Amino acid sequence: MAKEMIAMLLAGGQGSRLYALTQKLAKPAVPFGGKYRIIDFPLSNCVNSGIDTVGILTQYQPMVLNEYIGNGQPWDLDRLYGGVHVLPPYQQASGSDWYKGTANAIYQNIPFIERYNPEYVIILSGDQICKQDYSDFLRFHKEKNAEFSVAVMEVPWEEASRFGLMVADENDKITEFQEKPKNPKSNLASMGIYIFNWDILKKYLIEDEADPNSENDFGNNIIPNLLKDGRNMYAYHFDGYWKDVGTISSLWEANMEVMDPEHSGIDLFDENWKIYSRNSGMTGHKIGANAVVENSMITDGCRVYGNVKHSILFAGVKVEEGAEVEDAVVMGGTVIKSGAVVKHCIVAENVVIGKNAVVGAMPSGEEKGVATIGSGVVIGDNAKIGPKAMVNNNVEGGGEQW
Amino acid sequence: MVNSNANAMGIIFPNSYDSLVPELVNERLMASIPFGGRYRLVDFILSSMVNSGIDNINVLVRNNYHSLMDHLGSGREWDLARKNGGLNIFPPYAEKNMKPYSGRVEAIYSILPTLEESKEKYVVLTDANMAVNFDFKALMNAHIESGADVTVAYAKEEIPAGLKRIEGTGNFYYTLKVDNGRVTKFYINSKAEGIQNLSMNIFILERTLLIDLINTGFVRGSVYFERDVLATKTDKLNIRGYEFDGYHARICDMKSYFEENMKLLNDENLDALFYGNPIYTKIRDDNPTRYIPGAKVKNVLVSDGCVIEGEVENSVLFRGVKIGKGAKVKNCVLMQDTVIKDGSQVEYVITDKDVTITENKELCGTDSFQVFVAKGQIV
Repeated sequence: MAKEMIAMLLAGGQGSRLYALTQKLAKPAVPFGGKYRIIDFPLSNCVNSGIDTVGILTQYQPMVLNEYIGNGQPWDLDRLYGGVHVLPPYQQASGSDWYKGTANAIYQNIPFIERYNPEYVIILSGDQICKQDYSDFLRFHKEKNAEFSVAVMEVPWEEASRFGLMVADENDKITEFQEKPKNPKSNLASMGIYIFNWDILKKYLIEDEADPNSENDFGNNIIPNLLKDGRNMYAYHFDGYWKDVGTISSLWEANMEVMDPEHSGIDLFDENWKIYSRNSGMTGHKIGANAVVENSMITDGCRVYGNVKHSILFAGVKVEEGAEVEDAVVMGGTVIKSGAVVKHCIVAENVVIGKNAVVGAMPSGEEKGVATIGSGVVIGDNAKIGPKAMVNNNVEGGGEQW
Repeated sequence: MVNSNANAMGIIFPNSYDSLVPELVNERLMASIPFGGRYRLVDFILSSMVNSGIDNINVLVRNNYHSLMDHLGSGREWDLARKNGGLNIFPPYAEKNMKPYSGRVEAIYSILPTLEESKEKYVVLTDANMAVNFDFKALMNAHIESGADVTVAYAKEEIPAGLKRIEGTGNFYYTLKVDNGRVTKFYINSKAEGIQNLSMNIFILERTLLIDLINTGFVRGSVYFERDVLATKTDKLNIRGYEFDGYHARICDMKSYFEENMKLLNDENLDALFYGNPIYTKIRDDNPTRYIPGAKVKNVLVSDGCVIEGEVENSVLFRGVKIGKGAKVKNCVLMQDTVIKDGSQVEYVITDKDVTITENKELCGTDSFQVFVAKGQIV
């Protein structure tokens, strides 16, 4: 029984620009939005779009991600035929290869795709926050009789040169591709989400692998090759919420936007497009009698006795009496002790912030930044962490890091 | 830990004491009553069993069990979707001339073949009218060490007022006379004042003994396991008491339902019930709870999926509760998906699942008598 379309999710990214957050886990496993991880978005999109077979290509720090995905049950992806499969690079008779590039990662897993004999393959990226109906994308792909389609977003012209751009005609047919050009001819940025006819993809992957000069990358090699051969390539316009959370500031910003679905467009409260995740299993959260909670998102297992303003608390966070938390993203299991002031920052999982410590600061003039504390770090009592700091190691009581 | 399995199987009676809370069991049974923000009562016993290594669990339902079936599903969320053992739900076996069971003897008799085929040495019997994080392993160890035939768990406490009104409902509660650990007498529906050894209706005994007792009991027309079997055999059987001094919330009437929920607002109680072994429940995939500007909350236990725009104080909010702008909620237990619309004020109110209080209503109970709004009602 063939599947019409299966998904291949690129989740090998190191996410080096997330520094402290990705020391011990791959970018797609970075927690997001109170009870999710980034990868919950593409996975939930798949299930909600009717895609029940997903291969996840992992490479960098896969342990947390592997454990998190497990048998795929939280996303309803534990299937007899299909379901979710984590696909790390492996040793072969001819030797072993790390995934050399995005295209090579798919190339090495051609046998996996062949098992399902799909007509189409959708290539997804594991580091974006986006709610998207891939079945509508497929409808477009079929309507256009395309061999390759790419999802694109209109971006402001002045920012266009930061993106891979698709130049398309009035029928959305792609005529040119510009990778981060100085002089953009288009403002249609590639979202890194592609639908291929499987036969075409397979052909180009094999040809690409045979080319010793190729970087084995979709953007740099496969797409230019398709263009060169005059393939039927179309740009699918997506105008929903989309954010590449590859940097600390964009990750922080996206988290803040979750709290304002009315304006930001990222609505996690949508019953018709649920985002699934592996649950903490903790009991409900407790807000104490003297606590003040304003404009925030709080999930199971939290205990709040201090002041929390415009912040996201993940499962099991404890905010002691007299502590102040504002504009902060505080990940699971972190304890913020009494009198600590935590502002405009990202605090990773299982951090301890000591009494009266100060982490980050609200932006003022030139002084702005999102302080970041890596997972498991202990910040001593009365320590000071500056607004631009990246903290990977424990900071002693009274210590400072800027 | 090579193997955490306990050599015991579990039998749960989810309908026990249904009649004490008629309002809450209108469309469900005792075991599926929502409790503590995101749980159903059965979650506590099930999770306790699983955490104690009991993974062959049999639920003998009698009536109104749709909500329980829906909640438990395959048992996966309690890690009970197993090839061997796991969760088995036994609906009443409908035959001509055969009514659903009244007491445990009849109920267990109906699953004798299962009992005979099971391999575990011991059987644990329990109701599901309590929220408790119970260590069945400790019970089992005490049972084995003492060499008892049957061990009964009890708690030293006053008999709750709700239980004392049990007469005429076809339910019984038992207090125990315990001499040097041995249970020498079962008092049935005692009205005694002060601290008593109140049975938790949690028993452990060898499977073969249970089969014997049920076989002989059934032939003699016994119905109730404690009243008709154990209470008559305190001299022949070595029945021992096991005192449980941990936290437990026993649901005996609406008042205790309200109070036991509210007690969880005290951190000590919350920790006592949830500390240590996790309590599992059905996953709903709710988003985190959102506090919209305008929300004011004080001393609340809130589950995921709520959207709070109004004021909430001293209350327990279950999953998916919505509190509108300007609404005021005080001393309430609001079950899942309750909606309190803009400007409404509710105090000392218990809402069942899916209740909507429309705009600008006022609904007030008192400390001793809470207003209850039944499932799905729109006020």
